[in-house]
Amino acid sequence: MNLFLKKLQIKSALSGVVCAAALFSTVTVKNSAFAQASADSNDPMLHAMQAELDREKATLLLPGMQRPYFIEYRMDDINTWEAVANYGALTREELNHQRVVRVTVRVGDYATDSSTSRGDGTVEIAPMDNNPEALRYALWTATDTAYKNALRAYSAKQAALKQFQSGQAFHDFAVAKPVTHIAPLVALDIDRNDWTHRIVEASGLFASDPEVRSFADKVQYSTANVRAIAMNRYLVNTEGTVLRQGYSAYNALISVGGQAADGMELGRDNGTDAAKAKDLESASAFRKRAIANLKSYEELLQAPLVSADDYHGPVLFSGDAAADVMSRLFVPNIEADRPEIGKSARTNGAYSSSYKSRVLPAILSVTDDPLQAKFEGRSLLGAYAVDDEGVPAQAVNVVADGTLQNFVIGRQPVKDFDTSNGHGRASPGQAAHSRAGVLLFKASQPVSKDELNKRLLSMAKEQGRDVYAVETMGGNELTPRLLYRVHADGSRQLVRGAVFDELDTRSLRSDIVAAGNDSYVSNSMGAVPQTIIVPSLLFDDIGVKRATNEQQKLPYYAPPALPGK
Amino acid sequence: MIRQSVVVVGAGLAGFLLLAGAGSGRAASAATAKTETVPGVVLLDTMESELHRAMGSLGNTATDATQQPKPYFVSYAVSDSDSVSMTAQFGAITGSHESRRRTADVQVRLGTQAEDNTHGDHRNSALTTVPLPLTDDREAIARSLWFATNRGYGKALDSYLKVQTEQQVRAKEEDTSADFSNEKAATAILPPAPALTVDQAAWEVRLREISGLFKQYPDVFFNTVILEASTETDYFVSSEGAKVATPNHVARLIILARTRAADGMDMFRAETFEADEVAHLPDQKTLTEKTIAMAKNLEALREAPVTEPFNGPAILSGRASAVFFHEVLGHRLEGQRQRGDEEGQTFTKLLGKQILPSFLSVSDDPTLTNFEGTPLSGHYSYDDEGQQARRVDLIKDGVLDTFLMSRLPIASFSTSNGHGRAEVGHMPTGRQGNLIVTSSKTVSDAELREMLKAEAKKQGKAYGLYFEDISSGFAVTTRRSPQAFQVIPLVVYRVYVDGRPDELVRGVSIVGTPQAALNRILATNDKQDVFNGICGAESGSIPVSAVAPAMLVSEIETQRQAQGTARPPILPPPGAAPAGGKGGQ
Repeated sequence: MNLFLKKLQIKSALSGVVCAAALFSTVTVKNSAFAQASADSNDPMLHAMQAELDREKATLLLPGMQRPYFIEYRMDDINTWEAVANYGALTREELNHQRVVRVTVRVGDYATDSSTSRGDGTVEIAPMDNNPEALRYALWTATDTAYKNALRAYSAKQAALKQFQSGQAFHDFAVAKPVTHIAPLVALDIDRNDWTHRIVEASGLFASDPEVRSFADKVQYSTANVRAIAMNRYLVNTEGTVLRQGYSAYNALISVGGQAADGMELGRDNGTDAAKAKDLESASAFRKRAIANLKSYEELLQAPLVSADDYHGPVLFSGDAAADVMSRLFVPNIEADRPEIGKSARTNGAYSSSYKSRVLPAILSVTDDPLQAKFEGRSLLGAYAVDDEGVPAQAVNVVADGTLQNFVIGRQPVKDFDTSNGHGRASPGQAAHSRAGVLLFKASQPVSKDELNKRLLSMAKEQGRDVYAVETMGGNELTPRLLYRVHADGSRQLVRGAVFDELDTRSLRSDIVAAGNDSYVSNSMGAVPQTIIVPSLLFDDIGVKRATNEQQKLPYYAPPALPGK
Repeated sequence: MIRQSVVVVGAGLAGFLLLAGAGSGRAASAATAKTETVPGVVLLDTMESELHRAMGSLGNTATDATQQPKPYFVSYAVSDSDSVSMTAQFGAITGSHESRRRTADVQVRLGTQAEDNTHGDHRNSALTTVPLPLTDDREAIARSLWFATNRGYGKALDSYLKVQTEQQVRAKEEDTSADFSNEKAATAILPPAPALTVDQAAWEVRLREISGLFKQYPDVFFNTVILEASTETDYFVSSEGAKVATPNHVARLIILARTRAADGMDMFRAETFEADEVAHLPDQKTLTEKTIAMAKNLEALREAPVTEPFNGPAILSGRASAVFFHEVLGHRLEGQRQRGDEEGQTFTKLLGKQILPSFLSVSDDPTLTNFEGTPLSGHYSYDDEGQQARRVDLIKDGVLDTFLMSRLPIASFSTSNGHGRAEVGHMPTGRQGNLIVTSSKTVSDAELREMLKAEAKKQGKAYGLYFEDISSGFAVTTRRSPQAFQVIPLVVYRVYVDGRPDELVRGVSIVGTPQAALNRILATNDKQDVFNGICGAESGSIPVSAVAPAMLVSEIETQRQAQGTARPPILPPPGAAPAGGKGGQ
């Protein structure tokens, strides 16, 4: 069996790259017409990319076949650090540096080319050393492969298109103006010892802190981790774009949990994030968060089960909970990813045929502005100056007074949207797709938190029953984590074991009756960093049901006794 | 798409169990290892006391109305490892990582040794793997082990129920042997592995140099040079009373390069060098020579004529026959391959029978650290089930005597012979360590060559083949797949009977069945060669060695390999003379 060939695939090197983000610095974007000279950043790697691109552009041709009409080189220089602690001890710490190049070659023309909807290109490991020659070798082999693949894909596509009665209604690739944009390089900047110490401490508080130690037996897992990424992204293409920009992002998370007496799995997970490590929360705030999470977990353990009777009625979502709802139900639908060839839909999402239609209540408007790097003092991880296809970021009016006005889109056109609005964004080493950056929800008649609560209570009175308010969501499904049963007198009771019903795109359109004047900033340090800013939302008709899945067995034996117990 | 701000790496209990990045060695200058006063003592003590607590508690909980069964066996195997890996391509470093890990494999067995939760294809139900603290924090280590044991017990309960049900409805099994053998528990605390010392800066320079050599050979369009070094101490305690600490350390340098012929045929060469530590790897001069020879060989292969179908005599070099024996024979002698509905059981019924010519004997001896001065990667003192390593004579004078046994019994053998091996996170199975082929019918290389020519002449062939280097493919031994061994010949020459010089050919692929080839060995040379490598199978990737002399086979069937269709690179490499006078810069 394979006697020695392991660990050689690029895939393994890339899988699990810790991803996160935020724009590091704001910079000006100029068109190349008058900025050519300033492209001289004296970055030897950028020069090497340009030199190899020029050579390939001039000479790459398989006799008898078409030349590429577009070549793009992107190098992702990824620096990550991650530390994980469990039960008050460090279990992993990893510092990683990796460079990968992604080469995209297009054959054909802007109208019809070799591209497919999933994104094309060839990925190669690039030198960590600043060795221009070695980088050119990597680009050379990747370009060769990408070109041959493009030729094959182009003929396959021509054949596929012949099966359909009408030709393609829109172009395969949007023309974009060349851009030159050179930003300073970013680097990891975090006190690793200090943060390692903090997560070790935080993960051990369940057993050491007198405030929470009493229920340490109920804590089955207690984990804290800190992640950091600094990514420098280099891009050149045959249209003349020259780009070097970076972002950094940091987060620290705490996760505690276990099972209630009936076996139900419960837990609290949350943390702090920022574009710079110094903007993460302080050591004492992080410690407080850990204690608060433990207490909240204990409250959940004690909380009664949600009523077994189905509920359909008002539910007040905090900004935090509403952000999760919008991330899941709204964001993917306004990102214009083109359906596969042969499908006439505008996009893959649920809003494929909703252009110029109502998708939200008339009180809500939504913009996506990646150029906004801060909101009320908080750094926004989804911000950037130029997207990953070399198109300057633009603010986009996505929804005006409830009506869908625009999709966020990269350079792959869809019906009615033939140019990029600067939203082509890529995961490390991956092809760019249409992705939101900083999505801001605004209410036209925002009401205060008190007013929202009053309205919720008056609905309870009107309907003569208890209603619900959700503070935070949990897990990977849209399930409530902290859900309160609210009585007409304003008192509230934490309940557990609930799931939402009929929380879908229809309810976003029809059931939101009021929005708060608050703005919850939710940063995602995912492979493509994103930010979504959402106010509290009052829905008038959401289902709340008891979850039906069977509970796991309780621990078969007790955890080890704490020292001194 | 719930925001990551509210989700910690796969929320909930599962998150804790994730072993991110395992195997890919992506970590860079990792946690500064805390130096312990007495290495391993706290860890081993905690493992032992937590194991006792688990055995004393599980199945005894009075609070549980439905009394749960007590496990009859629990073991904790902890790997405490430090590793460095470095990669270079085209003269530059592309990756450099250091990683320190402590990982626990918790095994829980329910039922009886005769029939437990691991029966049939439920082997993995006994195993739960968790990361452990890197520091000697007793409480955190104990709690992590508790978490895994509790999880593991639940899994074992579930599986044991399934096993019992399945046994009731299925037909009688061919092999009714037990699921776990009776063994004496070992107690041996060997000194921990020495600290990992790799002069990273110096090695980066060396790796750059070696991979940069390929730039002089423009047709070799891909190369990679990898240095891996690890030191590991494995701790094992079991409810049977075993308590073992055993060190392992290995260093490995791999040089890999690839070219493509004009007709699209891909060809690669790989050289691996192994030693117990990096300082004992070959010097730079040796590596440089080997690399240049390899690059030149690839360029020659590119131009070499394509092979034609051939069925006749051949010599396998010592290195080639070592790989051959490992793949074709060694894997089929693994104990677990003799039982189970899906296994091919090539040799199951051949115990006591002649399966090789009588001048050949085969043993597996993990206790050897080196063979005539060459370090052996397959060395270990205790296997991954805490059993002492020992030499096993598999084939004596051509007669099959025994199999490579873990604690999984088979009809013919009910006990382990110290070959239960696994990578972290896998259930141990019978595996090879140092496979050693010895011959009593030896001739010099020159004589062997003459014998080849004579045999070819006798068979009316114009030439015989000389396999200088072969790579392992994938040995398929299950019943659904044809039992053809897959070894990929990399360097093959035609040796003409009429005295013409030897001719390099490319595209040779071997066809045929294993036993056939083994029975056609006519003679061997008088010098055994060592092949060190990493062997991957069901129980993970583990270091192994194979030692064998060159052998003459009366008949080996070859055909032309299935060929790629991609052309070689269109442009010359950057910096090379531009094709067609149209330079890029």
